[in-house]
Amino acid sequence: MAAPGPGEYFSVGSHVSCLTCLGQRLQGEVVAFDYPSKMLTLKCPSSSGKPNLSDVILINLAYVSEVDIINDRTETPPPLASLNVSKLANRARTEKEDKLSQAYAISAGVSVEGQQLFQTIHKTIKDCKWQEKNIIVMDDVVISPPYQVENCKGKEGSALSHIRKIVEKHFRDVESQKSMQRTQAQQTQKDSSLSS
Amino acid sequence: MSMKPQAGGNRKPGGSNSGAAAASGTGGAGGGVGRQNIGRGRNNAKGPSTAVAFSGVYANMRMVHVLTSVVGNKCELKVKNGLIYEGVFKTYGPECEIVLDAAHRKSVEPNVGPRREDIVESIIFKSSDVVVVHFKDVDLNYAKKDNFTDSAVSARLNGEHKEKDLEPWDGGEQHISGSMESLDTDLSNGWDPDEMFKYNEETYGVKSTYDSSLSSYTVPLERDNSEEFLKREARASQLAEEIEASATYKARVALENDDRSEEEKYTAVVRGERELHSLNRENKYIPPSQRNREPGMSWGPGRQNSPRLVQCSPGPPTPRSGSHDYNAMDQRVVNGGAHPWPSRCPSPSSRPPSRYQSGPTNSLPPRAATPTRPPSRPPSRPSRPLSHPSAHGSSGPLSTMPKRLSSEGPPRMSPKSQRTPRPHRVASCRGGGPPPPDYMSPGASVEVSAAPLARNSPSGGTWSSVVSGAHRPRSPRQNSVGGGAPSSSCLSSPQAGTVPVDSVTASTTATSPTAANPATNLDASPIEEAKELRVLETRQNSPNANKENVKPIEASASITRSIGKGPPNMAPDHRKQIDNLRKFSEDFRLPSSSNPDTVFEPMVTKTPRDLGEKPKDQAAEKSAVDSTGLKVSMESGVNEETSTSVIVALAGSKSGTPSLSPSSAVPEQKRGPDVTSQGVQTTLPLANTAAKDKDEKEKNDPVAESVRKSTLNPNAKEFNPRVFCSPPKPATTPTLTRPQGQPSPSIVVQQPPAVYGQTMFQMYPLTPVSPGVQKSIIWKPPAMYHVQVPHMAMSQTKPYRPGKVPNMPQQRPDQHHPPGTSTMMHPATAAGPPIVAPNPAYSTQYFTCSPQQFASQPLVQQMPHYQSQAQHVFSPMIQGSARMITPPGHGQPSLVSSSTTQYGEQTHTMYVSPTPIPQQFPHPSSTLHPHPQHPQPSATPTGQPQQGNQHGGSHPAPSPVQHPQHQAAAQAMHLGNPPQQQMYSALAPTPPSMTPGPNPQSPQASFPSAQQTVYIHPQQVQHGYNPNHMAHVQQAHMQSGMVPQHHGTPSHPPTMMLMATQAPTGPQPALPQGTLNPIPVSSATHYSYTLTPVQAHHQQQM
Repeated sequence: MAAPGPGEYFSVGSHVSCLTCLGQRLQGEVVAFDYPSKMLTLKCPSSSGKPNLSDVILINLAYVSEVDIINDRTETPPPLASLNVSKLANRARTEKEDKLSQAYAISAGVSVEGQQLFQTIHKTIKDCKWQEKNIIVMDDVVISPPYQVENCKGKEGSALSHIRKIVEKHFRDVESQKSMQRTQAQQTQKDSSLSS
Repeated sequence: MSMKPQAGGNRKPGGSNSGAAAASGTGGAGGGVGRQNIGRGRNNAKGPSTAVAFSGVYANMRMVHVLTSVVGNKCELKVKNGLIYEGVFKTYGPECEIVLDAAHRKSVEPNVGPRREDIVESIIFKSSDVVVVHFKDVDLNYAKKDNFTDSAVSARLNGEHKEKDLEPWDGGEQHISGSMESLDTDLSNGWDPDEMFKYNEETYGVKSTYDSSLSSYTVPLERDNSEEFLKREARASQLAEEIEASATYKARVALENDDRSEEEKYTAVVRGERELHSLNRENKYIPPSQRNREPGMSWGPGRQNSPRLVQCSPGPPTPRSGSHDYNAMDQRVVNGGAHPWPSRCPSPSSRPPSRYQSGPTNSLPPRAATPTRPPSRPPSRPSRPLSHPSAHGSSGPLSTMPKRLSSEGPPRMSPKSQRTPRPHRVASCRGGGPPPPDYMSPGASVEVSAAPLARNSPSGGTWSSVVSGAHRPRSPRQNSVGGGAPSSSCLSSPQAGTVPVDSVTASTTATSPTAANPATNLDASPIEEAKELRVLETRQNSPNANKENVKPIEASASITRSIGKGPPNMAPDHRKQIDNLRKFSEDFRLPSSSNPDTVFEPMVTKTPRDLGEKPKDQAAEKSAVDSTGLKVSMESGVNEETSTSVIVALAGSKSGTPSLSPSSAVPEQKRGPDVTSQGVQTTLPLANTAAKDKDEKEKNDPVAESVRKSTLNPNAKEFNPRVFCSPPKPATTPTLTRPQGQPSPSIVVQQPPAVYGQTMFQMYPLTPVSPGVQKSIIWKPPAMYHVQVPHMAMSQTKPYRPGKVPNMPQQRPDQHHPPGTSTMMHPATAAGPPIVAPNPAYSTQYFTCSPQQFASQPLVQQMPHYQSQAQHVFSPMIQGSARMITPPGHGQPSLVSSSTTQYGEQTHTMYVSPTPIPQQFPHPSSTLHPHPQHPQPSATPTGQPQQGNQHGGSHPAPSPVQHPQHQAAAQAMHLGNPPQQQMYSALAPTPPSMTPGPNPQSPQASFPSAQQTVYIHPQQVQHGYNPNHMAHVQQAHMQSGMVPQHHGTPSHPPTMMLMATQAPTGPQPALPQGTLNPIPVSSATHYSYTLTPVQAHHQQQM
């Protein structure tokens, strides 16, 4: 835990690997390090595999057992770009509302399928919200339980047809995912039964 | 925000810390670890913050930047105890506190969403409690995506901006050499339409509907070789040329094709001279207009042509004017003059002239001229003899006039136009011929010659005056002035009376008007006496002359008639005349009564007679006209005799001859004495012959009556009455009654027949008549007479007369042959000779146009007289009327007018007394012609009468000759010269001459009158000038008209020849002068010229 000297410890751009007290190994490129607070920020490739995205990990070195510097930085870090604070703030507020909204729907007793559908639609169309158990999309299309394609109602048009497509695809995906899970579950059960 | 509590919490502990902690806290509030600036700002807000101090994480720019970049992302936070909280990363604190909104503790079940109650508004985690914070799927560039906002851009460029130095682009040598030009010259630049269409069709399957013919917008031009197409094509090309030749087009094209390029014109860049300029100019497109600039020269020529045209136009105008005049005149004046003249004149005049010339000339010289003149003015007489020929010529015209009158007389009377024209012709002829006779007669009457002239003019004036109340004053004046005149007038009247009883009766009727006459007579009485004497002489002469004249006249058809009517023909003519006179008298009565009451009253009594006589008078007038012609010839032949002859002729011719004689006597006294009177008559007669004839008839009647009465009264009164009565009542009334304007002319015409003296009177009567209708008219006639008389009397009168007469003959022939020229000639002649011609013309005009035309010219002239005297009142009317009147006799009118002005008064006097008339004549003659030149010298020495005689004589004699010559020689000139000019010249001169004239004359009987006249003259002159100008024009026309008459009088040519010497000079200069300065110059010149002619006449006479 000895605090490394300013020049000793992690320089920006270095790749380090460390192991938390909880036994979780973290590896990534050093973005920033604050010695006083022993806070280390690493940038890691996105866990979801998206190229343009990345995972940022803030690590408290106080709870890290070992730190290994994979390779020191080879070049000076790029200049810091200014940030649009207002934009970041709006994103924070929006995220909060969405979470609250989702929590509201969950609280209302919407089925998981409904919640999932809602999440799926929300990914494509931001303008959607819960009204009791009905999902309101674009203020035009109402999707009522059990949230099937035929449950999509509203003014005939491209919006309605588009949403129906989304719903149809969602359930298709859900079905495929469930089947997979079932197969996996069956296999695990078999495995477990076999093993047992 | 939520972080603040945490931060605050952190701070609080750290609050104990230095301001740096606070600062860091504030900076943390900014949320941007990396942004110290923001932190500072907040620090400032917060407290003692020192911008410098950042505590904790905030001091680490990289850490701040990263943490700020992930704000708003969901994150999973693991704490020491292994729990995982999921929430939205809100913010962080200096000590790296983590604030999560809507955080909830993540349950084991991954798929189950947090419930409402599971979610915590915000959770602040101490860095010490946090093991790991995992942000998934973070877009580190999210906050950077607004780089292209203005703020982002400006922020990035901040500090980098600096003015860049603009550098001119130099394409390099290649570009200059041609690559750039290739762009300009490369027509294939870009896509060819067809290529585009093809490409689109192949690539996109789009097929263009483009039609190069643009059939949707226009129709194709179908070319063919048909004439229609060729015509249209030629038309189009023509229009194109016109458009391209237009100034506007050129100007606009010049703008577009300015040699300078726009850059050159408007650029602010200063560059050295380019070679391009020259090149551009050389190779530049030249618009057709510019190309045609040289062709434009052709345009220039065209323009020049236009000037030419203009010039031509001027030329045409004159012809036009002439033609117009002719046209207008033609029917009335011109026609009557020109056409009628030719027709009439030729036949009658031509015949008569020839006859006259032969006869009259012969007769005249021997008869009147020699006898009368010798006594009064031998020299003048000699000239007279010359004039006599002219007079004869004039007589010829006169004779023609008489013929016309006789033939036309009555009818003419009714139809002014016809009459006027004829009268004009006749008058002109007469003017040409008669004037000489008049002059001659005056000359013959020479004794009274001055007086006669005065008489004539005065008589006219008197007549006018008599006719109009205004005239009376004049007449009185004149009478007073002409003190001696009355006697002459009386004499004349008696003579007239003696000569033709019928005429006398008529004259008596005319004289009856003498009521006015009385005054005039009274005033004029002295003059009248002289006049009377003169008149008597003249009368005597006249009778002789009349007889002789009559004979010659007889020779001429009309003349023959008149002559026949005259002494010889007295019986038949008298009968006719009497009939005419009766008619006239009747006619006259009405107007007379209406016209000059005073005169009428006395006249009225007489008028009845006149009425009775008037018919006679008319006949007499016709005869008188003839007689006038005869008289003229006669008078021309012998001054005194001529005058007498004139008178006689008038009397005799009229048979009304008595009346004529009386009237003539009166006129003679005025005119007749003037011979000028005859001359005047000639002029007047010629012009006024018809009117004069009427007047003469009237006058004759009045004269005769006046003679009788005059005899009863001291001649003066009688004359006045006569004048008034006879002219106004008979002539005026008749004229008025019949055709006011025309009537007067007609009357005039009629008068002319009677005798020149009569004619003069007639003229006056005419004016009177018109006055009867309108005073102005009356005045006008007088003016006309006067003018004519003066002119006649003046150089013009004689020259004119002769000229007129001769001219008339010549002109007539010319006119007949070439109307235009003849007309032109007439005007020209009118100016100088023109006067003579004008007179006739005027007379004719008077007849026809008398009101208007005469009014114009005569009026002007008359106006002065009237104005000076009573004319003022009348002036307007008179002017109008005078002009009207004058025009007919313009030669006369102008002369007359001048004379009239003088005469106006004189005439009055003249009218008043027969003598006055002679005086007037002298005055006019002297004043006009004589005065300046001859009159004064010859006349002055001889005395008024002599002057008058001389003038009259000289005028008559020379005038005829001169006029003929002038006309002949000057005809071309005259023709060329505008009638107006001549007229003007005549008019203008006359007034001046009038003034001077009056003086000379005035000295005689008329000084008072003369003075008056003089005064009048100025006025007249002024008035006259203006009107004169007008009148001149008319006169010119009239003259033109006159000319024909002259033509009518072949006899005149000989006279013309005689006159030519003098006249030509006079007329020619007059014309030019007139042309140059219508009024002054013309006047002066005219005078001079007129004078010259007169002088010549005088000289001749002398």
